[in-house]
Amino acid sequence: MAYGSALAVLADPTRRQVFERLRAGPRPVNVLAAGLPVSRPAVSQHLKALKDAGLVDERSEGVRRIYSLRREGLMELREWLDGFWTDALEAFKLEAEKSHKASRSE
Amino acid sequence: MNERVVIAPVRKTVRVKAPIAHAFEVFTSGLTRWWPHDHGVGKKPIQKVLMEPRLGGRWLEIAEDGTETSVATITLWEPPHRLVMLWQINAQWKPDAAMKSEVDVRFSADGPDATRVELLHHKFETMGAEAGASMRKDVDGGWPGLIERFVQEAERSKS
Repeated sequence: MAYGSALAVLADPTRRQVFERLRAGPRPVNVLAAGLPVSRPAVSQHLKALKDAGLVDERSEGVRRIYSLRREGLMELREWLDGFWTDALEAFKLEAEKSHKASRSE
Repeated sequence: MNERVVIAPVRKTVRVKAPIAHAFEVFTSGLTRWWPHDHGVGKKPIQKVLMEPRLGGRWLEIAEDGTETSVATITLWEPPHRLVMLWQINAQWKPDAAMKSEVDVRFSADGPDATRVELLHHKFETMGAEAGASMRKDVDGGWPGLIERFVQEAERSKS
């Protein structure tokens, strides 16, 4: 599931930095890497992780690859959290009612 | 201008046909009885989920291989009315102060035999808070609050 991994992916501070840099607009790797305390290949790895999690898109422009934010990725994450709690609370309701009923009939 | 990653809060309400004290007890001490075990954010299968029912207590997941992971910490404890937890939504279960969002659960009696439970999961904006002031300039010039507007719109159309 992309959403669970979106959370994991954003947990990394460097990755979050890369992600936030993309909020300024689409960028190639070398621009994203400039000024960051990690190597360019490392930034590429972070971009791949962000892309796998559905948070970043990639396209080719000549020989360069341009990365951009995938806004839907954040929405999917939000919807996943929404469903996560719906399921959890439903399970809670079932158990609370079942155990309450059982204690009354004892 | 807000340079952070903003995700709209999750709000959920459920009505439980049980008295407030029972509902609170099941939610907290009885966590492992109802928490969907296939429902962790992480990849390891969950064997047990425990909540230490007190202020400062932890929400602990115990994996099948015995690994213990602290998922959340209780920061407000007012049985049987309310509890607030700092929730570490890092799916790799690495404690990360920057990743803590907040889960606020309120219980209110709905007659003698029913309880309304309202859950609010919010402060997702703590994700990305670390990016720091040097980023602000970049962001100010580029993408003014688009995510915020997008999320607000989605939220509006949903409700």
